[in-house]
Order: sequence, then C-alpha cells, then structure tokens
Amino acid sequence: MSVPIEYYLLLSAFMFIVGVAGVLTRRNAIVVFMSVELMLNSANLTLITFSSFMGNPVGQLFVFFVMTVAAAEAAVGLAIIIALFRNKQTVNIDEINILKW
Amino acid sequence: MNFQSLINSLQYIKPEIVIAVVIVLVVTTDLIMGKNKSLLPWISIAGLIVASFFVIEQFSFKAVSSNANGSIGMITADPFGAFFKIIVIVSSIIIVFFSLSSNEIKEAFERHGEYYTLIFGMILGMFFMISSADLILIYLSIELLSLSSYILAGFTKHSLRNSEASLKYIIYGGASSGIMLFGISIIYGLTGTTNLYLLNSFFHLPQFGGFIFWLACILIFAGIGFKISAAPFHFWTPDVYEGAPITITAYLSIASKAAGFALLIRFIKVTFIDSVDASGYWQLLNLIDWKSFLILISILTMTLGNFAALWQSNMKRLLAYSSIAHAGYLLLGLAVLSDQGLIAILIYFAIYAFMNLGAFFVVMIIANKIGSEEIDDYKGLGYSMPFLSFSIAVFLISLTGIPPTAGFIAKLYLFIALVDAKMIAVAVIALLNTVVSLYYYIKVLKNMYLVRPEKEMPAVLVSPAAFAMLIVLLVPIFLFGIYFTPLVNLAKSSIGLMGF
Amino acid sequence: MYLTVLLPLLGFIINGAFGSKISAIGGSASDRRNEKVIGIIGSGVIGLSFLITIIAFFQTLALPVEERKTIINLFTWLKVSSLDVGFAYQVDQLSLIMALIVTGVGFIIHVYSIGYMHGDKGFWRFFAYMNLFIFAMMNLILADNFVLLFLGWEGVGLCSYLLIGFWYDKKFEKSTTSDAAKKAFVVNRIGDFGFLLGMFLIYLTFNSLNFNEVFTRASAFGVPETTFAFIAIFLFIGATGKSAQIPLFVWLPDAMAGPTPVSALIHAATMVTAGVYMVARCSIIFASAPAILTVVAVIGTLTALFAATIGIVQNDIKKVLAYSTISQLGYMFLAMGVGAFSAGIFHVMTHAFFKALLFLGAGSVIHSMHHEQDIQHYGGLRKHMPKTAGTFLIAALAISGIPPLSGFFSKDEILWYSFANGGFLFWLIGALTAFITAFYMFRLYFLTFEGKERFGHEKPASTRSNRGEHPHESPNVMVIPLIILAVLSAIGGFIGIPEIFSGEHGNIFHGWLEPVFKNAERKLAIYGLHTHFQEILLMTISVAGAAGSIFFARYIYLRKPSIASGTAKKFKSIYNLLWNKYFVDELYDATVINPIVKTSDSFLWRIADNKIIDGLVNGIASLIESASVVIRKMQTGVAQFYAVIMMVGIAAALFWIVLSL
Repeated sequence: MSVPIEYYLLLSAFMFIVGVAGVLTRRNAIVVFMSVELMLNSANLTLITFSSFMGNPVGQLFVFFVMTVAAAEAAVGLAIIIALFRNKQTVNIDEINILKW
Repeated sequence: MNFQSLINSLQYIKPEIVIAVVIVLVVTTDLIMGKNKSLLPWISIAGLIVASFFVIEQFSFKAVSSNANGSIGMITADPFGAFFKIIVIVSSIIIVFFSLSSNEIKEAFERHGEYYTLIFGMILGMFFMISSADLILIYLSIELLSLSSYILAGFTKHSLRNSEASLKYIIYGGASSGIMLFGISIIYGLTGTTNLYLLNSFFHLPQFGGFIFWLACILIFAGIGFKISAAPFHFWTPDVYEGAPITITAYLSIASKAAGFALLIRFIKVTFIDSVDASGYWQLLNLIDWKSFLILISILTMTLGNFAALWQSNMKRLLAYSSIAHAGYLLLGLAVLSDQGLIAILIYFAIYAFMNLGAFFVVMIIANKIGSEEIDDYKGLGYSMPFLSFSIAVFLISLTGIPPTAGFIAKLYLFIALVDAKMIAVAVIALLNTVVSLYYYIKVLKNMYLVRPEKEMPAVLVSPAAFAMLIVLLVPIFLFGIYFTPLVNLAKSSIGLMGF
Repeated sequence: MYLTVLLPLLGFIINGAFGSKISAIGGSASDRRNEKVIGIIGSGVIGLSFLITIIAFFQTLALPVEERKTIINLFTWLKVSSLDVGFAYQVDQLSLIMALIVTGVGFIIHVYSIGYMHGDKGFWRFFAYMNLFIFAMMNLILADNFVLLFLGWEGVGLCSYLLIGFWYDKKFEKSTTSDAAKKAFVVNRIGDFGFLLGMFLIYLTFNSLNFNEVFTRASAFGVPETTFAFIAIFLFIGATGKSAQIPLFVWLPDAMAGPTPVSALIHAATMVTAGVYMVARCSIIFASAPAILTVVAVIGTLTALFAATIGIVQNDIKKVLAYSTISQLGYMFLAMGVGAFSAGIFHVMTHAFFKALLFLGAGSVIHSMHHEQDIQHYGGLRKHMPKTAGTFLIAALAISGIPPLSGFFSKDEILWYSFANGGFLFWLIGALTAFITAFYMFRLYFLTFEGKERFGHEKPASTRSNRGEHPHESPNVMVIPLIILAVLSAIGGFIGIPEIFSGEHGNIFHGWLEPVFKNAERKLAIYGLHTHFQEILLMTISVAGAAGSIFFARYIYLRKPSIASGTAKKFKSIYNLLWNKYFVDELYDATVINPIVKTSDSFLWRIADNKIIDGLVNGIASLIESASVVIRKMQTGVAQFYAVIMMVGIAAALFWIVLSL
C-alpha cells in the first residue's frame, strides 16, 4: 500500500505555513532562521513528492541543490547573527531597528 | 546529448566561465600574495574586460526559434542577455574603482580578498540570472547573488548599521526565497518540468489556471519582486541601502536590480507568451492578467518610493527610495508588454546605471570628506566643493528626467511607449510621480546652493582619480542627453530573446 | 564641411571651460599674453571654419549645377513615429554664401575684438560667447530641417542675449544693459512663437520637417493657398522678430548696449539677416502665398523708410547705425517681397561687408574717444585717425549706393526689381529711403570726421577723468580688419553686376543662386516687360539722388550748421517725433506692457496666483506631505513587519486575481 499524494502535499503545506508563521512571529533571529529552513524543507518535500509520483528525476535533482543552498544560507545567517551579537549583545529582531523611516 | 555536444555547448557560457576563473584567481592571489592586496582590483578589472569581450560576442547570437522538444537547456545566450550583462560588467568595473577610493572599504584592508571574491560571486549569480531559462537555475542564481550580497551588506563587521542591514537583508531574502521555492515546487508539480520554454508549451494546453496555479505564479513573482524591490516586496531596500557600505549600496541598486529585471522580463515573456503581433505587442496567454497586475505593482512601487523619499534626511536613504521609484518606472516599461516597452527598459537601464552610480559616487566622496551623509550637512557645499556639487546636481537632475540630461531621454522613450500603447492614464500618473520626485531632488540642490553653511567650510579639492571617474560618469549623461541615437539603436538590436 | 560647425563649438568649449584658467595663469587677469592665447584660439577656430568653407565653396563650384547640393547626415537625432529629425547639414548654393559671410566676416570681427576687448575682465567669456554664437549661426544656416534651424535660431538668440548684456554691471541710458538684453530676448520670443507655430503647421501639412521633403511637397501638392498663407505669415512673424522689422524692431537699437564688435557681428552682419535667410530658404512657401509676399514687401518698405527717418536725428553713433541696419533689413525684405530672392541675399552679403565696416569703424572711434558715443561731441577726427576715417567713408559711400561700390549694385538691383515686379510706389519709397540713407550716413560722417573738433574742452565738469587725452588711431589688430572690410565693401559688388552691364554672362551671383530659387520664381512667374532704358534711367535717378543728398548733408553740417538747428527748431514737433523714434517704445509700454503689468499685479498675482494657484498647490503639497509621513512610518525598521507586509501583499494579489477572473 502506498500513501496517497495528498497526504504528502498537505504535510508540506502545513510545514510551509508553520515556517511562515515562525518567520513572522518569533523574536529570536536564530529561531527565525530555523523557520526559514522549514519553509525550504516544505518546498523540498513537495518537489520530492511530485518527482517520485511522476517518475521524473528533475525534482529530486533540484532538492539536492536546494539543500546545498539552505546549508550555505544557514552558515551565512549564523555568521551575520554572531557579527551582530558582538555589536549589540542581542539577537532579538524587534530590538534591531536603528535603520527605519 | 553526447559528450561532444556537451563540450560544444560550453561556448555559450564563456563569460560565466571567465567570471568563475576570476573567482578562483582572486582567492589564490589573495592566498599567495598574503598582505599585499593591491593586485586584486586590477585582476578583477582585467577579468571583467575579458568577460566583456565574450559578452559582446553574444550580441551577434541570433535569437533562434524554439522547437519545444526538450532541446533547450538551462542557459540562453542572446542579445537581450548580452545587453544586461554589459550593464552588469560596466557597473562592476565602476564599483571596483569606487571601492578603491572608499574609506569604508579601505579600512577593512585585510579582507579585500573576500570582498572581491564575493563581488565576483554576485557577478556570477547575476550572469546566470540573466541567461537562465530554467526555474532550477533561476533559484540557484538568485541564491548565489543573494548569499554574496548578504555578506557584503555587512562587510564592515564592526559597524552596527552594517550588521543590522545584513541581518534584515538575510531574513527578508531567506523568507522570500523560501516563498519562491514553494511556488516553483507547485509549478513543477503541475507540469513536471522546470524549463521555461517547456512550461510555455504546457501552458498552451487548455486545463491550466485555477487557484493553485495563481498562487504559484504570485509566489514566484514575490521572489523576483524582492530582487527588483517592487512594492510590496521592497521594504528591505531602504534599510539595507542605508546600512550597507556605499559601494555595495550602489552596486545593489544597479547591477542586482538589472539582473532581477532581466530575469523578470525573460520569465514573463518566455513563459506566458502566446504570440507577438506585427507592431511588437506581446499577446500573453490568458492565464493571469499580468498587464493589470504589473501596472498596479509599478504604480504602487513608484508612488510609495517617491512619497517616502520626500522627508528623508539621509542621502543614501533618499537614493534608496528614489531607486525604488525608478524600479516602478521600469516596471511600467514591462507592463506595456511590447517590444517598444522593452526598448524603453533597456535605454532606461543603461542611462540609470550611469546617473545612479554617479549620485552614489558623489555621496561617497562627500562622506569621505565631511564624514556625513545627512542632507543637512550639505549646506553650502555648492561653494566649498563646486565640482562635486555640480556633478551631483547633474546626476539628480538626470534622475528627475529634465533635459538636456540623459534621464530625460530615458523617461521620454518610456512615455512614448506608454502613449503608443494607449496607456494615457498610467502615463499621467507616472508623470505626476516625476513631479513629486522633483521636489526631493531639488531639496538637496537647495541645501547645497541656496543655504549658507553654519560654519565656514574650507574649499575641498577632488583627487585626480575621483575627478576622472566623475568625468567618465558625467559624459554619458550629457552625451546620451543629446546624441542618444547609438544607444537607441543598440537597445533596438538587443531586444531579441532566445526563441523570439 | 561639418567641421565648420564643430570648430566654433570646440572654441567655445575650450574658452568657456578653461578661459578663466588661462587668463588666471601668470597672475593678473589682463595679462596680454594670456589674452592672446584666448584670442588666437577664439579667432583661430573661426578662421579655420572660414578656410574650410572656402574649400567647400570651390569644391561645389567645380561640380555641375545639378549636383551642387550635398547633405551631410551626422546622425539621426530624434525619430518618433513619422517625425524623423536628423542632425543633418545641407550644403547648397544659398547656405554656402551665408556660411562664407558668417565665417568670413565673423573671423575679421573676431580678430578686431582682440584689440577692442583688450583689458576687459571678461575677455575669455567674450570669446566663448562669440564662438558659441558662430556655432549656433552655422547650425541655423546649414540645417537641413526646421528643427535644427530652430536650434540655431534659439542659439543665436541666446548668444545675442548674453552678449548684449555682456557688460551687465554697466548703465545703459536710463536702465542697465541687462534690461536691454532682456528686451531683446522677450521681443525675439514673440517672433519665435510665430516661428514655432509655423513649424507646427508645416509638420501638420507636409508631415515632415525636412527641407527637401517639405519643399518638394510644397511645390507639388495641391495644398490650398490659405494654408500656405498661414504658414508664411507665422514664419514671417518669426522673421520680423529676428530681423527687427515692424512691429518687432524695438529691441535692435537697445541691443547697441553690447560691445561694438557684437553689434557689428550679431546685430548688423549676421544674426539679424537670419530672418531674411529663412524667408529665402522657404521661398517656395512664400511664393505659394502671393498675398503674404505683398505683406512682406509692404512691411519691408515701411520699415526701411520708418527707420531711415529716425536715423536722421539720432546723435548716438551706434544708434544711427542701428536704425540704418533696420532700414537696410527693410530693403532685404522688400526684395523678398517682390520675389527678388537672390537680390535680397546679395544685399545681405554687401550689407554684411559695409555694415560690419561701419560698426567696426564706429567701434574704433568709440575706442579712441574713451567710450563717448555722442556724435555732437566728435568732429574733425579725420586728422587723428585717418585710416578709420577713410574706411568709414568707403562704407558710407557704399551704403549710400554710389557706384561702383558694392552697395550700389545690390541696392539698385532691389530697387529695380521692386519697380519691375512690385510697382512704382515700392520703388518710390525705396528710392526716397535711399536718399535719406545717404543723407544721414553723411551727416554721421561729417559730424564725426570733418569740421571743428567739439571734444575735449567742452565739458570740464565731466566725471570722466581721461577726457583730456587726444584721440588716437587704433592698433593694427583693429585697423587691418577695417581695411579688409573696406576692400570687400568696395569691390564686393562686382560679383553681382546686373545683366545690362555684364552682357552675355548675366548676373553671376544670380546665376549661382538660381537653382535654389528656381521653383519659387517659376511659381511667381512675374517678369514684367521693362526695357533696359528704364533700368538705366532708374539707376541714374537713384545715384543722382544719393549724390545730391550727400552734398546736401555736406552743405548743412559743414558749411551752415545753423540750418540744422534752425530746422530742428522750426519743425519742433516733427523733430521730437523722430527724436523719440515715433514714440513706439512708449506706445508699446502703454498698450501692451502696462496693461500686462497691471493685470498681473492686481489680478493674476493677488488673486489668481496667491489665492487660487498657491492655495491649490499648497493644498496638494500638504496632502502629499501627510501621505508621505504615513508611508514613511510604515518603514518601522523591524524586519518581521516587512515580512508581514510581504505576506499580506501576496494574499492581496492572489485575492485580486481571483476576483478579477
């Protein structure tokens, strides 16, 4: 027996929404980054699902690239957070607002 | 696809290969030369010049007609792409020269290796963005560009503004790339392909449309809209532009935006085109009302940009808002959905590159001298720095679009395209926006020439290198303001996208 | 050939951009060596242009008649749908003649200016403007379409403005030189408006602004005469502005506020003939509207007479010359009006020679008299400056139409055509004007160079400290141009010897220009049957009249000066009328300027501007400002808020697309 495609898609949609909600609501920059990763992974799940259901390898190929990018993005993001933390001693996004208006 | 054709196909990415080689060269030179970094800018410029030779070669590539049987790969090489690559190369060369005289960059001397490496990372990303014909490559190239620019936005690590700009940029960028990727995955699910040309043939089938499809389109547009800072995806722009080192700000406002526009144009034209009629108007597939959508977005973008710019006190931030407004004008050129609109975009970009780079350059030199980017500190500069003030006056007037500067020609062709397409109301709105923009540009000039400074400032001399740079930027403004035929002809011959 | 246009531009750029630097080198701004550099650059570029024009002239001369028109297309300037404006120059017989005059006379005047402007603090500025003027003028002449012509037209207007107000800190009559400059600019603008309307109408009618296309279509198409009449009248309004004809002549006398070489170059020899040139260029359009052609002739005749009568009583040496210029321009328009286009251009040429000479001579006098311009304070100057006096005499004889000087040939050709094509009345007024011209020119000559010396000791209380100095001959750099011009004024007429003297060769000048005016003349087809006897008779009458006037002037102003003052007293009202230039300035003040000032002050400014427009503008501005504040505050600085707006934007876009389908 196999799991129907809708289940996968619903799961990925749910993950995406959780990711978006995390980006919008969490104060801690690191958690925000984790939420971004969640968004990317939900897209990955969609790609894999379609790829395997259509028997089309392009999607899986894409996922490898996305995972690489996600890793790079996480590395850069953490580095930036560290640089900021050295300057301001906080990682709370709502406190980082000297650039405005 | 056999090995031989794979090798043959490498000739279409010669510029990209050159850029990749330069990245390696910069890194190795940086390692070998140790503390001596003075060679790096010249390697960069040499590499860019070599790349430009190969790009110029691409102008002669005929735009072939597609046969939609899978023979089209990920990369296109066509005159349209070559035009934008030239813009990227020219602005990159200018940015390298900027960096040579920027105090901010000079202070981080020991990290020049990574500075130039990352700049070339951006260039590589932009080149692929300009020529990609596949959603996978689109995503990857956007990420390549973004990741490099996130770091560069926070390049001077010790400044709080720098790192704040960088953090905001990466949060916003990460979120929008996630959104875009989700859109791509939906499109992939609906069609089973990621190639734009194949997508186009799929979209000709009648069953397309519906909520999921629209959602995917909007999500992808959001990702690209982030890059070109179109409203409502533009909010990162002022903060990042203000916080980032000014060379990077200038670079983001030209090159990165140019690549984004090239991508957007290619995406919309290749994916959604039905046919091009005799007078050059694009008939899009009846899937999404792109025209109204783009008009709405562009009006929103230029209005928000111009209105928010009115009360800015920081020169960099003002230019950031003005660049948002200009993105709005440029989007209007796309919204016409015609070859004439495309020509207008190309002309606009070529001119915009010079005037915007010029404005940022003068702001940088003034900041080097007086240590401030605040407009209030510009009081009386017309007397103490006559040449710099004259230059920035020319650039700002050109940005407003007043003859005899080139900015007028840019706007003229845009408005002609709008009027020809019977989009009179839109043209009027754009014109009113231009009037509003006059207000904040002139305010700067007023501060420089009509307001006496509180304290007497000594006359400041411009260094010969900066003087030469300014002349190089000023000449096109006047030249294209009067003798613009070659530019127009170049633009006319560069509208060939691959497949059309 | 296009180099002739670009060289002056180059000179302008060099002198304009680096002039102040060059003159600053070596300390004092009046350093003679630095002036020389600027002067040599300034005149050198014009000299080179002149040389190139001469070469082009002979090259063209070597070509067969049909091929004497070349078009040099530099680049397409503006191409929007059917409007295609090129930066293209047309070299043909007419433009070559004009180019020769402009560069040749221009070169001589540039050289002269090196001497005249010596020591002026704006020396470099002067040469920069002069070069810019030549650039604009060459554009005007060589343009092959109306737009480029208009560019030159406006360009010379601008240069004229800049140069009239060159000594912007000086007083001129009751006001300042910048007021005179403004007057010239505003009056010209009225004319330009007419010209623009004409241009629009041409585009509307012929769907092109290119000379070749317009003129071919104009001679072929069945365009109604009324259309032609409208185009022609608008163009002519433009011409009256630039060429100082009734009713727009008032700016020219005031333009004398500028340095004298400027008056010579711009307000006598070249720019003011732009209107004549334009009418000649558009001859086919004017020929297609005979009624307007008559208007041109009438205006020309009246202007000639009108200005000449004013010239009799003026005392300012440059004013006299200014009115004589207006009068001579009237002759040229008379020639245009009676269809004698090549005669008109011929007069443009000879006039350029002798009027430039007159002005430069006057400049020489003014220079040596320390800027005293009142001829009542001159007298007996021939002893002190014989070369100036001699050349001035030649010019005066030329303008009076004494054979065999150049003015005779051109003026009599015009008079003859006005009799043959126009009618007896035109000839009569023309001849009368010629007599008056001879009279006041020699009044000027005798009062200046002959008779008792009336300068020096007359006004000891004068504020000028250097009045006691004796007048002296000008330096060579000024005198040599005078002599060259004198030679040209003397022999320049021989290239246009009328048919009756030259026999089978016909009129060379006329033959040269014939291809340009062929179409227009064919359309007019007015070759009245007149005999050679009549022509010679008329010539004799006019020469005799002119000679008589000269002797009359000599009698009055040398022998019996009392007659002059006696007549002035006797006919006080007429004298006053003439002295005040028929009160035209006052008339314009009363009828046009004052009402405008009143309305704008009481109504437009106080109510319309202050209340309505300002209120509206301020209202909109404050609306925008408050909107701006709201929009600006949206930029809270918190990245998450931005992300929220992004999501909202996506949702809204989606919502909108769903709704719109």
